[in-house]
Amino acid sequence: MSDLEGYRAKAAGWLASMEPTFGRDARKGLSEADDLALGRRYQKAKFDAGYAGINWPTEYGGQGLGHLEKVTFDAEEMKHGFPSFYFGISLGMPVPVLMQFGSDKEFVKERVLKALQGEEIWCQLFSEPSGGSDLAGLRTKAEPDGNGWKINGQKVWTSWAHYSDYGVIVVRTDPNVPKHKGLTYFWVDMKAPGVTVRPIKLAGGDSHVNEVFFDDVKITDDHRMSPVGGGFAVAIATLMIERYVATDSAGFGPHLDLFVELAKDVQLNGRPAIEDGRIRQQIARNHAMRSGLDSINVRARLMMQAGMMPGPEGSLNKLVAVRSRQKLSELAIDLQGSDGFLFDEHASQKEDWASSWINAPTGRIAGGSDETLLNTIAEKVLGLPQDHRPDKGIPFNQIPA
Amino acid sequence: MTILYDEGQQAIATESRRVLEARVDKDALLPLLETVGEYHRPFWDTAKEQGWTALALPEADGGLGLGLIELGLIAHQAGRSISGAPFLTSSFGAAKAIELFGSDAQKARWLPGLASGELIGAIAFAAGPDALPRQPDLTFAGDRIEGGMRGVPAGLAADVAIVFANGQGMPVLALVDLGDVQRSAVPSFDNSRLVADLSFSGAPAEMLAIGSAARDAALRILALQSVVTAHEQTGGAEALMEIARDYALTRKAFGQPIGAFQSVKHRIAELYGLVELARANCIHAAAREGAPDFITAAAAARLSATEAYDTAARDCIQIHGGIGVTWEIGLHLHMRRARSLAIEQGSGLFWEDVLVDQLAGEAA
Repeated sequence: MSDLEGYRAKAAGWLASMEPTFGRDARKGLSEADDLALGRRYQKAKFDAGYAGINWPTEYGGQGLGHLEKVTFDAEEMKHGFPSFYFGISLGMPVPVLMQFGSDKEFVKERVLKALQGEEIWCQLFSEPSGGSDLAGLRTKAEPDGNGWKINGQKVWTSWAHYSDYGVIVVRTDPNVPKHKGLTYFWVDMKAPGVTVRPIKLAGGDSHVNEVFFDDVKITDDHRMSPVGGGFAVAIATLMIERYVATDSAGFGPHLDLFVELAKDVQLNGRPAIEDGRIRQQIARNHAMRSGLDSINVRARLMMQAGMMPGPEGSLNKLVAVRSRQKLSELAIDLQGSDGFLFDEHASQKEDWASSWINAPTGRIAGGSDETLLNTIAEKVLGLPQDHRPDKGIPFNQIPA
Repeated sequence: MTILYDEGQQAIATESRRVLEARVDKDALLPLLETVGEYHRPFWDTAKEQGWTALALPEADGGLGLGLIELGLIAHQAGRSISGAPFLTSSFGAAKAIELFGSDAQKARWLPGLASGELIGAIAFAAGPDALPRQPDLTFAGDRIEGGMRGVPAGLAADVAIVFANGQGMPVLALVDLGDVQRSAVPSFDNSRLVADLSFSGAPAEMLAIGSAARDAALRILALQSVVTAHEQTGGAEALMEIARDYALTRKAFGQPIGAFQSVKHRIAELYGLVELARANCIHAAAREGAPDFITAAAAARLSATEAYDTAARDCIQIHGGIGVTWEIGLHLHMRRARSLAIEQGSGLFWEDVLVDQLAGEAA
């Protein structure tokens, strides 16, 4: 058994032991507040067991291991339905960026330790009503104010902002230069005067994302995490941190086995649906797609183990898996027919077809829309030209609205 | 578990690509489309000279003792440059049948010649869309084969065929020396595949397997061949994606390269996705040779590679506009090959059923 397999086995054992306390069944029927409280206890348990900050430096309370161990643990953890998603963004991007770019080391260390133990949550304030894919076109501004700054504007789609203690934010500090060059990166106290968080109810009925308003929010200059005008580079660094994440060829929807079971159970034209050619074709094609992604992901892991950079084909994961999940979920509802109306808004997207279906559009938009991902593949992998960009090189305040 | 290619394997890929790019060009392949019964001899001579014919056969029988991974790498390169003959796959299938299910005498009789490339093998199982029929057209009785097979790839040139026949209610896998078997060329949209109708009329045949073992053996042979073909398809799809990308970078319309239009660049990015999924499935399947899930892995590779090659052929021609449909530019060579490979060793319809049977636990 390789070291990594040993690590996996040990992690799997620990995770299984947590199942009765924190697993799917333990969470059934909990209010969101109670679930979050349970999530905080789970995060603390992870910290105590050495499974928090797996690939973070030990000086910040991490374990000092590699991406491989982290991805291995995440893949095992994903099987259990633990209440870990409240901390996914927080520990995924803002806190690592704080470790990398925060100037006051003592402050940083305190925050990181509290975040790792689930006591504090950080959010990421990037997207705005005027644009999500066009990050550099953001409009929220920070103006000099005494020795510090004053923030005005609005962010949107901010995951878990309503539970967050702090956030990282990109704002415009100079509208007189081209859009990428007038941005600066700060952290903010989400409880500060002038910050208003308003949850957005999504199509599936849940409200984990928010609008966040900034009205004359005053911060001191020690909140700044980039040079003035150098915020875009830190924003990109934030997004790059998530390059090595646990992937799911099911697109974070149900496993194909569940579809096969459904097709065996349901009768179509007096025969089990598994005998129907239309259903068989979709099972076969979805399997071929998922097995391709699985192989890509195993190879990425092998490359990391060999000290190589994984290939760019890993960028296909979300694009390919989530839109396939969307269609397969529709077909699963078709298969259930008159039994397919039933909807439980608390059901898991990993286990329930209706929940998977209604939340699938979010998956195809959040974290890079299908179109943005295709552009990235075309431009960065294949070397095709950028789209025509009329705002290129023009000072931000002269871009036609 | 999939694999990373080791240095030796990478060298096989690099060297075979270099050789094929130097020796194959579309101007030699285009006339073959209009000639029934001819194949691109320089391709096959190269395969023999480079030892590709021997690659995946046992050393004891004149082979090089490598496996599906290495043969797949060659097939990928052959697919990139459009292979000039179907024998790499057809002879491999026949040789594996003899290696796995034949007697020592049969091995001694056929394998050295198949390994050197002096002899050519063919697989003749299919009846129309059914790559492995429940009721084979051929009958096997008294060590003789009666009946005919339609549309056998490589059938026109093969010295030996492995057939799937009905032996008094039981399926039989049998070896037939094609020396005295009548054959007629099938005019095809891809003539260098040397597709032929075979008429056996009591030709002597040697049984390799019978009953459910014969069916399992035949499916295994088809799966082995399919993994080779899937690599070839993936190579073709990869070449087309690159041709489309290069054209989109140079061809201008409305004052900019057409690759700057999302309708074009996204089409090419989608091809990239199909090629990479197919490649990943191919590598995985080749690494699973002999494993319990080999049939599943082979079917997945076959399905994704067929989708990649067909789609790449469609879209690459579409991106070229008018020039793409000319005879001279030769993109139709890939389009034709994508379809001929799609139906050799069973079409997607067959492999979808095989795959679902495996996944649903209904495998025979």
